[in-house]
Amino acid sequence: MSPKKSPADLTGAAAPSPARGYERICESHVEAVRAAIPGAIQDVAWQTDDQVTVTVNIDTLPDVVAFLYYKRDGWLPMMVGNDERSLCGAYAVYYILSMEGQDRGWVVVRGEVDPVTREWPSVTPLVPACVWSEREVRDMFGLVPVGLPDKRRLVLPDDWPDGLYPLRKDAMDYRFRPEPVSDLESYKFLTETHGKETTVMPMGPMHITSDEPGHFRLFVEGETIVDADYRLFYVHRGMEKVAETRLNYDAVTFLADRVCGICGCAHSVAYAEAVERAQHIEVPERAQWIRAICLEVERLHSHLLNIGLVCHYAGFDTGFMQFFRVREKAMDLAEKLTGARKTYGLNVIGGVRRDILKEQRQDTIRIVRELRAEVRELVDVLMTTPNFESRTKGVGRLDPQIARDYSNVGPLVRGSGFDRDVRFVHPFDGYKALDPSRFKAASQASCDVQGRTLVRIQEFYDSLDMIEALLDGMPEGPILTEGWTYTPHVFGIGATEAPRGEDVHWAMVGDNQKCYRWRAKAATYSNWPTLRFMLRGNTVADAALIIGSLDPCYSCTDRVTVVDVHDGATKTITKDQLETYCVDRTHSPLLDD
Amino acid sequence: MLKLWKLERKTGEATVAYPFAPLPVNKDMRGKPVHDAAACVACAACAVACPADAIWMSVDPDAETITWNINYGRCIFCGRCEESCPFEAIRLSQEFELAVTSKADLHDQAVYKIQECSVCGRPFAPRKEVDLARRVLDQVVGSAAAWQRDVLDVCPACRRRLDAQRAKASCDAANAAVLLEAIERDAAQAGGADAAGATDAADGGTSAEGVR
Repeated sequence: MSPKKSPADLTGAAAPSPARGYERICESHVEAVRAAIPGAIQDVAWQTDDQVTVTVNIDTLPDVVAFLYYKRDGWLPMMVGNDERSLCGAYAVYYILSMEGQDRGWVVVRGEVDPVTREWPSVTPLVPACVWSEREVRDMFGLVPVGLPDKRRLVLPDDWPDGLYPLRKDAMDYRFRPEPVSDLESYKFLTETHGKETTVMPMGPMHITSDEPGHFRLFVEGETIVDADYRLFYVHRGMEKVAETRLNYDAVTFLADRVCGICGCAHSVAYAEAVERAQHIEVPERAQWIRAICLEVERLHSHLLNIGLVCHYAGFDTGFMQFFRVREKAMDLAEKLTGARKTYGLNVIGGVRRDILKEQRQDTIRIVRELRAEVRELVDVLMTTPNFESRTKGVGRLDPQIARDYSNVGPLVRGSGFDRDVRFVHPFDGYKALDPSRFKAASQASCDVQGRTLVRIQEFYDSLDMIEALLDGMPEGPILTEGWTYTPHVFGIGATEAPRGEDVHWAMVGDNQKCYRWRAKAATYSNWPTLRFMLRGNTVADAALIIGSLDPCYSCTDRVTVVDVHDGATKTITKDQLETYCVDRTHSPLLDD
Repeated sequence: MLKLWKLERKTGEATVAYPFAPLPVNKDMRGKPVHDAAACVACAACAVACPADAIWMSVDPDAETITWNINYGRCIFCGRCEESCPFEAIRLSQEFELAVTSKADLHDQAVYKIQECSVCGRPFAPRKEVDLARRVLDQVVGSAAAWQRDVLDVCPACRRRLDAQRAKASCDAANAAVLLEAIERDAAQAGGADAAGATDAADGGTSAEGVR
């Protein structure tokens, strides 16, 4: 073991400090809002050192959010709706902004929504990144974002009765499922084809590449995708409702694990940190380091999965098999460290449940070395495969301006030239100790599938280095703290960098040891809305590859129905046909008639 | 291409013989929870701790039994039950092959008798838990432990009544003692003064009231 270092020596990244001339972190943003939009701010309160909530006059809300977003380098992971009628007599909407320019921190813009009119001005026309969150709040709380152009449901199914809003506190029991009110799907798919004659190609209800069933419509002209629209949330599990009603706040970490089948640990860390920050619980440093190590282990197996799948969709199946073989080692490492192949069940409020002892430490170092050597060989093979470059270069372009408008996250946004990564923008847990000159967010400026894959490859190597650095500097001491005073109705933000991008959780605990409101935002939630821009102009054969580069969870199910809108002819293509077409790009299934 | 062939040759066989040979797992892996029905006292700590509600207790008042249940189909293998159990009666094994052909096979249970209250006759707590408490109290000396031992098989409602009666009795006894002490003190004062004190002694009751 290396000589013990005190945490102070390890703290490479400078601890966040207030901007010059201000006493508190994010105070400069608050003052800027005061100066730019006089009379907007009603109340300012800091939840923790770097989290401030600004309650504004609801009419000025869009201006305040847009000002912080575009003028103060804010990014918007999500907004949260909350039924606070029992607390303050109104509903509340929280726009969470991650300030990533000067004076980094979290600014939450809060507005109170009148419980009678239930209307608030939509921010989406000014900041497109709010679109899904605002639609979700409308579905779940029945609040109306005035001015939101998209009036369709997002989360609730078509057969859900009008006027029943699941997350209102007086709505329903979590076990209740109302009778379907309709047998028909009434969802309207939107398109901007600019008068071009297109053929509609529906994919779904189970999507070819995505684990989550989704209904996609590709509007195609010949082989070229003119536009695309999609509908997801067929497997909405109502987790937030379950967490608020059935579980105690300290058991929600185990539910948060299950938000994702791949990056569960990132969600449970984010939830735990949201509660810990709200309750001012000091997590022992050793636990923070263990959390960071497990998050990196999770990234190892997730990135190997995605790199393998990129091989698969580019028609390089041998590479796919090889990456999956190596990935097994990362899964094995996760099992050694947490007791489960998927890094599940590690976190509790106040720390972690399992220490990394000498034996695990040695195993980890051994596996990390093996992985580095084996993946380097495989990547070398992949890069010298001519097919890989020709299939990925220039495909699925994500324009940086669109990425900025929609607050994309993860390798997707980093593949478009941004270097936003929670681990470095808002260092948390063990990441605080990493040397900023050695570890940086990986980014590529090519904006295409290739760029995203290269980012993932670089991050994989960085993760291996980080695990070694974290193991080396791991402080000693307890891994769990249990002494804190529970304060109801306070809230906090927890953010982690999952393999797919930032997971942001907002949690407010309430009476009786229950979560009053828990909002979990998975990484891909921020990335789906821009998919249509990435699909435009590409060919049908590349659709699966582009969706794959987003790294949603994969499964290969069901089939595709092709509808020609002009003669109403339908043709069903099997998943195998489409996938084969994606791989070898001859014999288009659309032309077989 | 040549690199790939070399790599494949180097890798050799990547698959394992499972299911035709056992699959080794990590020793720290959390698999199927195994319940030791003999060590369990049906205290329900695991049922409270289980985040997935895979473990629950059910009471049959007619049969006077309490049943520990587990549904392996709900289990998330977090191991909270193992952490919360005071007697190591449940632990997570290395077993991971949980598939069954009938859903009912995912359910497992252990039935325990409930202790009847010696006063009112109603069942109130798992008998094994009561027995355990008795064994623990047997190791303890002192009057408080003795009293606890005496009322071990009394249900909380009846125990409250007994406690109240006991408290009243000891209160009365204390009052009587105070009364007696006052009378004696007065008598002693009267004896130490003069003969006239003999008549005052008749008022001793009154002054004792005052003391009280």
